[in-house]
Amino acid sequence: MDTASNPPSEPQIFDSLRLELRRGCLIVAVLAQLRVEHYGYTLRKALADQGLAIEESTLYPLLRRLETQQLLTSQWREEDKRNKRFYKLSPQGESILTQLLAEWNSINDSVNNILQHSDQR
Amino acid sequence: MTANQPTSDLLARYLQAIGDHLPAATRDDVLAELRANLQAQLDDRAEELNRPLTDAEVAAILKDHGRPIVVAARYLPQQYLIGPAIFPYYLMTLRKATPFVLIIGFLAESSRLLNVHNLSELIAGIFVSLGQLIPDLLFFAFWVTLAFAIAEYAYSQNHAKPFGLSWNPTKLPALKPQFKGKSRASRIADLIFHCLWMVYVLEIPTHPYLILGPGELYLHMLNARPAPIWHLFYAAVVFMLFFQLVTKITALVVPAGIWQTPLNFATKILGVLFNAWVALTNVYFVPAGPATNLESLAAVNYWMNIGFRIFLVFSILDLIVEAWKLRPSFQAKRLVF
Repeated sequence: MDTASNPPSEPQIFDSLRLELRRGCLIVAVLAQLRVEHYGYTLRKALADQGLAIEESTLYPLLRRLETQQLLTSQWREEDKRNKRFYKLSPQGESILTQLLAEWNSINDSVNNILQHSDQR
Repeated sequence: MTANQPTSDLLARYLQAIGDHLPAATRDDVLAELRANLQAQLDDRAEELNRPLTDAEVAAILKDHGRPIVVAARYLPQQYLIGPAIFPYYLMTLRKATPFVLIIGFLAESSRLLNVHNLSELIAGIFVSLGQLIPDLLFFAFWVTLAFAIAEYAYSQNHAKPFGLSWNPTKLPALKPQFKGKSRASRIADLIFHCLWMVYVLEIPTHPYLILGPGELYLHMLNARPAPIWHLFYAAVVFMLFFQLVTKITALVVPAGIWQTPLNFATKILGVLFNAWVALTNVYFVPAGPATNLESLAAVNYWMNIGFRIFLVFSILDLIVEAWKLRPSFQAKRLVF
């Protein structure tokens, strides 16, 4: 339990911080990607194709949680002779996504400003 | 491409294992969605390979998807026994209240120390009393944890703010004085007072009224004198005073060494041992001649013994408190439920 005597390695620290950084970003990416209707597996592939790989065990429960928050709508539909649950961004989700993107851009600008100032010193 | 029978069997078993950990209300819906997604993934992979998947390949994909109990847990609402919003208050309660629980528990248990007759009984009594503190602490921790778990439940259900809805920074405690060790003047004064105290103690054998006060007259009336135990005890006290004199002189040269704390603690242990020695002695005054009032003398010895035993209980308690202060610092941040 004594973390002081056994500090985490640099890769461990990076992984932990990367996870924190990605957590919020993934939600924005999922909401944005669901402006077009997808079911779980094709959504995961679409995100991976855009360079944002996400584990199934993270994505699928996230979709249900976002639906519970009424940011997504879903419907079961048959495709290729199989029933699949398709998700799409709801009007409320669109509104939240707009706000999140504004926040995202604001944070991005601030971080860029900080980096520029620190580079000048 | 449709998966073959063994593949379907493996997938069905995997889904069944996940379903075992899901609530009945959402189980079918979650499993149907998972089945569709996983089946699409398996079909995709089979299409890439242009052949049906082997059992090993299916198993690899399912293994990559995650252990059933972990996958199921991600579909459940996040629930803490005591969450991060309330945990600091929980920990603070445990840390602040535990010493009091120990003290009250020890006092409650220490009655057995009033009835011991020798050193082995005393040591056994202390260990039994200390051992009894473990169930006391567990009992206390259980109820505190239960109370905070209920508070956490209420908090998560109502999304209410936890304790300390409003707090005022101006009501924070004042800054604690920085400990810089004793000043040189203070250490010199300490040494002078210790020397005076030694002179006082060294004068006691020739002037017993210095310690007995008016009690000396009463002893004369009883025709009693101090028991031989006091000679040994007095020698031990004088030895200890000389030992402390050496440490105080050393402290003048080496102000605050790391040896100070363990030395103080060792001195306390020695003090407790002296107290135990006196408390286990039943006879403090003996008849000085045939005219002694034995009944009154027995009463004096009895009440002195009770007094020393009570004093022993408190000195052991003091030792426990000092030991508690010396405990290693607690890494609270890792104790997350």
